[in-house]
Amino acid sequence: MAELSCEGRTTRDINAEIRRLMAVGEAVTARSPGARHNLAVALLERGEVVFDGSVGYYCAGLMDGATVRVRGSAGWGLAESMLSGEVVVEGSAGNSAGAAIRGGTVVVLGDSGARTGVSMKAGVILVTGSCGYMSGFMGQGGKLIICGDAAEALGDSMYETVCFVGGKIADLGNDAVVVESTDEDKEFLDTTLSRYVPPSLRANLPDGGDFRKVVAGRKLWNFDKAEWRTWEEAL
Amino acid sequence: MCGIAGYFDKSGDAEAPVGAAVLNMLRALGCRGPDSAGVALYRKQQGGDLVLRVKLGENGRSKERAEEVVGKVSVLSQARNVSTTGSYLRLTLEEPADPDALGATIESVGPDVEVVSMGRRLEIVKQVGSPDRLEETFRISAMRGSHGIGHTRMSTESKVDLSHSQPFWAHGYPDLAIVHNGHITNYHKLRRRYEQKGTRFYTENDSEIIGVYVADEMRRRNSLEEALAAALVDLDGSFSCLVSTKDAMGYVKDPFAHKPLLFAETEQCAVAGTEEVAFRAAFDDSLEVREAGAREFRVWRN
Repeated sequence: MAELSCEGRTTRDINAEIRRLMAVGEAVTARSPGARHNLAVALLERGEVVFDGSVGYYCAGLMDGATVRVRGSAGWGLAESMLSGEVVVEGSAGNSAGAAIRGGTVVVLGDSGARTGVSMKAGVILVTGSCGYMSGFMGQGGKLIICGDAAEALGDSMYETVCFVGGKIADLGNDAVVVESTDEDKEFLDTTLSRYVPPSLRANLPDGGDFRKVVAGRKLWNFDKAEWRTWEEAL
Repeated sequence: MCGIAGYFDKSGDAEAPVGAAVLNMLRALGCRGPDSAGVALYRKQQGGDLVLRVKLGENGRSKERAEEVVGKVSVLSQARNVSTTGSYLRLTLEEPADPDALGATIESVGPDVEVVSMGRRLEIVKQVGSPDRLEETFRISAMRGSHGIGHTRMSTESKVDLSHSQPFWAHGYPDLAIVHNGHITNYHKLRRRYEQKGTRFYTENDSEIIGVYVADEMRRRNSLEEALAAALVDLDGSFSCLVSTKDAMGYVKDPFAHKPLLFAETEQCAVAGTEEVAFRAAFDDSLEVREAGAREFRVWRN
């Protein structure tokens, strides 16, 4: 395992050093990240990076295949547009965690801000705490798991993203509907939670069967003049 | 962009290193806006006196202007503790019956003379340039108090000068100050409404309306909590704001959570700021931060 200190270095230098160490097969622990932005962006190889503290905006964005762990909180746009890989944040995440991801897994072992999973195309986002306003907005695929509460406008204008909520739903977004979970859904939730959540935290979270499933009602998928009212409200 | 920061000490003894805390947070947020920087600090009350900070204008004759202001003030009340720093005059005086008249008297010295802050505890210092330059001019790191808010600005819609910088004192309402990150999109509509009632606006900066609005609500409701709740209904656009009075500090975030704002709270203090980088620069790692939610407001009070 290789260590590097972020103190006194530019972000470009830190990212270059992480990439250099990963290329020679080292697992990297980065100390004192100081919540700065754009850390571990565009890691395109397999490998493991741990940040020993909080990170700022866009951490692990545009990533393909690496594993990133944050021993602190993350700012806005965590893992934005990730293709594949695994990002685990031990604290909370700011707005738009997992925005537009095309695969991989984002885990937040705390609360996540507004628009979590906005426009996600595939992959899994797991939040053990609560999620902010308009989470799942315009989601096109993948799964958003919220163990705690979901704030207003959950799942607004979605395509094929599926949201699972273990706590309270303040309010469903336009065209979002609650449907029955299947046995496969429950199994998927239990498997995912067991895989990513530490046992001490898992005991306080809901079981697969306790989640409500929210999907698109498909009323906004095709424009229909006869349903003008629905469109007026949605827009 | 823009960065905002606030620090509130819960002990209430007005001896906390508030200046240093807010300055260190602003330095970390400086890259969000290099145009101007400023702080509003709540210092120990000096007897029953009002403290005034006055901008002496840009004509370079600060000394003459200062004498002129002190002369005008002395007709109403005796000016004490008079000092000047750069183009700023600071003085204290016994609170007159009509603080509005006092403000108007001072500002009659020249169109570019402005009472930047007035209050029993509030003092605002702000200027064009970075937080580091603000420290060079005013040594705010040495200032102690109970709470304070600060701002580092990226100008997007109005000019860069001292008056357009933040924090804004809510003119006419002693001790009330605001900092704002965002845009108020119904600014012109609200401004017209207040101008029809006779309110004077000092800038073209949309953030100024927030101070005017909160002061108006506070006069009618006498509750900072209720004023912030009302702001969520009446202000349109994107906003993360910190609002402070002589014994309280609060934040309000718009219904869409367009702009960032994080906060942390311990038994000793409450802290709010635009990005976590400000918390990590100014405090130790044990401080746990949380992003404020959409349509959320909160007030800390001593």
